[in-house]
Amino acid sequence: MLLTSVVIVLREVLEAALLISILSALSGIMGISRQWLLWALGFGFAGAIGYGLGIDTISGLFAGTGQELSSAAMQFLIYLLLIIFAFLAGRSVSGRGSHGTLTVTVMTAIVALAITREGFEILVYLFGFADEWQQSLAVLTGALIGAGVGISAGALIYYLFSSMSHRYALLLGLCVLSLVAAGMISQAALLLIQADWLPSQLPLWDTSAWLAEQSLTGTVLYALIGYEATPTAIQAACYFGGLLLLLIVVLMSTRTPQPSPLEKPL
Amino acid sequence: MQTVMRTILLLLLWLAGIRGVFADKPVFELEIRDHLFIPEVLIVPANTRIKLLVRNHDPSPEEFESYELNREKVIMGKREAVIFIGPLLPGEYPFFGEFHPETALGKVIAE
Repeated sequence: MLLTSVVIVLREVLEAALLISILSALSGIMGISRQWLLWALGFGFAGAIGYGLGIDTISGLFAGTGQELSSAAMQFLIYLLLIIFAFLAGRSVSGRGSHGTLTVTVMTAIVALAITREGFEILVYLFGFADEWQQSLAVLTGALIGAGVGISAGALIYYLFSSMSHRYALLLGLCVLSLVAAGMISQAALLLIQADWLPSQLPLWDTSAWLAEQSLTGTVLYALIGYEATPTAIQAACYFGGLLLLLIVVLMSTRTPQPSPLEKPL
Repeated sequence: MQTVMRTILLLLLWLAGIRGVFADKPVFELEIRDHLFIPEVLIVPANTRIKLLVRNHDPSPEEFESYELNREKVIMGKREAVIFIGPLLPGEYPFFGEFHPETALGKVIAE
């Protein structure tokens, strides 16, 4: 029970923590006050509670596929917001003006949506044990350990990015975010396949023999680059198409028009 | 131009996998009772899209999860869920209840 709880909570927290840590490190580099993070966490927790309370109704929508569709919609929205963020952050680093308010709004929305998506599952899981008090202690302890490990990983990534040179941190950060975003698009496609909104195909390849998704490395790679052992053609197309589009945005926006004042505080 | 249109149409038809999208999918039922899947082994036809109906008779929520089937879905207590799976190559595809992985275990066999 304890271990199950650790694994469930860690898996969810890890994905959100990765986004949160990179975005807050980058916002610091762009000279944006980190106060937005508090709002984002607040909106995120409220969203997770709201989604958790509504999941019973939501699941029943669209002939029983409301859960897949709402989750896919959120992931697609996060992807679109990450494109906007990459564009704004790229322009900021290449000295072509910063759009503080818009950047803050976009980051807040990304983090709030990520927490809503990941947090609701933790809430549903935890509240499922509310009646079984003998088990709740183990479940809660496990949840705390899982959350602790996930948050520590996030803090580590945050300090790693904060310790790099500004330009390097921004470029690397945007590349990692692009991979995360591509994973989200591929996940959204998978959910639409599960809901039968997209046709299902046989997997293109199967790498589960040498790297299982449920292994520790598989889990970390899933959060980081959206690793999938048996993707279908649609998923792979969404992944690489989504990645390409984001990388183009990053390249276009970070192109320096003139010798840029990068080392100056932005 | 016409060739381009025809290619696009063919691509769309291929994507739509006609047979899969327009035909009614066979329905297979699965129950969750006392954190167990009933039946534990579900035999389904290979290379066919299948509609899986999972009824959770327990008061607590469960998450149907399978790495092999690439599926994940929360099923609240006393509710049922629809999950589309396949087409599957012949073989065994384990699934489990993520909230009770010690007991809620099962597998789909495609043949």
